[in-house]
Amino acid sequence: MKPAEPENSNFKRELLATLPNLRAFAISLAGRHDKADDLVQDTIMKAWGKQESFEEGTNIKAWVFTILRNEFYSQMRKRGREVQDSDGYFTDSMAVHPGQQGNLDMQDFKKALEKLPDDQREAIILVGASGFSYEETAEICGCAVGTIKSRVSRARINLKELLGVSGEADYGPDAATASVTTRAFVG
Amino acid sequence: MNEMSNMSSGYSGNRTSRGAADPNSLISRKLRDFYDNVREERIPDRFIDLLEKLDKAEKASKPATRSKGE
Repeated sequence: MKPAEPENSNFKRELLATLPNLRAFAISLAGRHDKADDLVQDTIMKAWGKQESFEEGTNIKAWVFTILRNEFYSQMRKRGREVQDSDGYFTDSMAVHPGQQGNLDMQDFKKALEKLPDDQREAIILVGASGFSYEETAEICGCAVGTIKSRVSRARINLKELLGVSGEADYGPDAATASVTTRAFVG
Repeated sequence: MNEMSNMSSGYSGNRTSRGAADPNSLISRKLRDFYDNVREERIPDRFIDLLEKLDKAEKASKPATRSKGE
């Protein structure tokens, strides 16, 4: 005679727990906070609708990430890219993000991240920041483990190049920062 | 070379971009900083409200699921 254990409240709690991570992933994909949050909202609805297909005890984070990713690409296909490669689309909108203002280094990094092809960006985010293994990432992205590995390594190479840290020299980001700082003083 | 061993020590030790951070650990650190900045934000109320609503709607639609077998 246990008190009723409402299953969906469990599901709700678990889903809630994934949200900080999910939003971070959404922003990595969509670039902008507002778009990312719309994407997260759609993902919550979708996930809720198919909660029967989630097996308890399995990795809910990977499950929801997969839903969000599918949602993102299917919306992109439907709409086409509205904001295509307009310079600074990633960075400008994220510049308003509180707590990161004045962090020029981070702005440079975001700009570089934005320039990566989608498949490379998602791979390096999932492996390098979301904490998924190559295997889990391959499952989320629906491709082979080897593909993910090569996307991650290409993403690294591209990022290093974009940030000017590909060689031995470590003054790349500093040089970039210095020029902006100088501009700030002049202007 | 010794990239692997640099990964961990570089991460804890180099707070500034000026140090001898190797490019790989620099990228890793930036990536996590970028991601964690968002992850540490408060969850917007709209999501909490939405989940609350979905949960309530679901409970209301099938109030007596439990007594089925008994």
